[in-house]
Amino acid sequence: MPMPMIETRTDRMLLNFGPHHPSMHGVLRLLVTLDGENIVDCEPVIGYLHRGMEKIAENRTVVQYLPYVSRWDYGAGMFNEAITVNAVEKLAGISVPKRASYLRVIMLELTRITNHLLWFGPFLADLGAQTPFLYAMREREWILDLFEAVTGMRLINNNYFRVGGVAVDLPYGWTEKCLDFCEYFLPKVDEYERLVTDNPIFRRRLEGVGAISKQDAINWGLSGPMLRACGVNWDLRKVDHYECYDDFDWEVAVYPEGDCLARYRVRMKEMRESCKIVQQAVKALPGGPFENLEAKRMLEGPKSEWNKGDYQFISKKPSANFKIPKGEAYVRVESAKGELGIYIVGDDNVCPWRWKIRPPGFVNLQVLPQLIRGMKVADMIAILGSIDIIMGEVDR
Amino acid sequence: MAEENARERQAPPAVGEQSEPLATVERGPVSQFLADNGFDHQYLGKDAAGVELLEVERDFLLPLCTALYAYGFNYLECQCGYDLGAGQPLVSLYHLIKLSDGADRPQEVRLQVKLPRHDPRLPSVYWIWKSADWQERETYDMYGIVFEGHPNLKRILMPEDWIGWPLRKDYITPDFYELQDAY
Repeated sequence: MPMPMIETRTDRMLLNFGPHHPSMHGVLRLLVTLDGENIVDCEPVIGYLHRGMEKIAENRTVVQYLPYVSRWDYGAGMFNEAITVNAVEKLAGISVPKRASYLRVIMLELTRITNHLLWFGPFLADLGAQTPFLYAMREREWILDLFEAVTGMRLINNNYFRVGGVAVDLPYGWTEKCLDFCEYFLPKVDEYERLVTDNPIFRRRLEGVGAISKQDAINWGLSGPMLRACGVNWDLRKVDHYECYDDFDWEVAVYPEGDCLARYRVRMKEMRESCKIVQQAVKALPGGPFENLEAKRMLEGPKSEWNKGDYQFISKKPSANFKIPKGEAYVRVESAKGELGIYIVGDDNVCPWRWKIRPPGFVNLQVLPQLIRGMKVADMIAILGSIDIIMGEVDR
Repeated sequence: MAEENARERQAPPAVGEQSEPLATVERGPVSQFLADNGFDHQYLGKDAAGVELLEVERDFLLPLCTALYAYGFNYLECQCGYDLGAGQPLVSLYHLIKLSDGADRPQEVRLQVKLPRHDPRLPSVYWIWKSADWQERETYDMYGIVFEGHPNLKRILMPEDWIGWPLRKDYITPDFYELQDAY
């Protein structure tokens, strides 16, 4: 039965959300036309965090540029490093040792979990539930500590990936700590789900809200959880077979509804799957944990098989004036937010001629006006939260 | 100095021309499909990842894109521009892929349209792939390429009163900036 409504006539109101509004994600500004509580139209205004990352790349060598890149998507910095080195590797035809590839996968999947936790907490806070935020930060702290042990940095500026591998091998005892974390984390996801998923307030605010059809999602170029929540089984880890994801047993998270709840479900399942990948990768790490690898090396001498080939963390260290060969390529990874791509044009120079960043958040965010037209103001915040944007990568 | 300049003029940077087509190069499947159906384009070979590169005249871009859409390229992954060098043409390019459920290394193709620097206009593909919306705006913002028929073509990342096209190779970065009013 429709709610009885008092007929009131008001003029349309132009409301300015952001860029400094606390519930706005980063420095996004939305110009919203309101008819009472209903949203008539919305125009996102972006660019407040534009630093000219593509311009900067044209004047930097790869080694110089690597520390910059985790400022694109500062919620999940390692994906940016991964795509930066992948672009150059693709163009120069550099292969990566098996062990380095496993180390990359472990780091990327842990990054995916931190990203989804950093999405989960604020998203629930947007919906009015403050407690899960603290839970999410608690688990995220573990991963940041693991990052700190390997790379020296917690959140961004890990600067861990290198052309041809990674910067350093794992420290002593790291793999055990990592497995401890996985064992601790999987029940925690269940705990979140018990707390949140079937909560009636939560369900009512998300079910059927911000829905988009499969056709529209593809046409608008959505990627990542936004696309998979529309029932499209498209995950670049499966599509492109990059790194060593084929070695592991895991599933793509797909839900068909296309609404905010489906996006929530996709991300919750992805955390579990990522955790499974990390467990498998750590256990199957070529050469085993660092301490075992060291022991084998010492036992069999520097010329043994343990000191070369697939058991290294980097094939050859690129020099500081490594030249990017002539040619062009478009490379992509499945980042936590969707497809992160680089279109690179090399000119046989230390700096790239063109470095185009195709950020997932930028392309996913442009669909926002479509999703929130005709909804209520409170829904707008829920829908915006469900897209999962970081303005650092939207504006670059 | 003058000599140096003259030499530079004679040998412009040849970026993007590394895949100059040879007479004997065999067309890729997408290029073959387009050629069979009478869509005029130039086959530029394959890039480092094995993706077909096609060069298209701007007048034929829309019919050719429509044909590719009908051929199954339902997903515009990346639209961007780049500059071949000061005094050289600008390029607008489109990376297309066939997106489907459970796809495994699907077909990809990359189109590029060369545009004269003094008149960089071409039709917008927004009406075929909506994902071109902000990406074309960004290309306009950075290179001054005008996408005709785009519903809302204006600067997106730079301030709206910015002068010049920052990613062009002949752009001169100003020494000083005006104070921005905070509000």
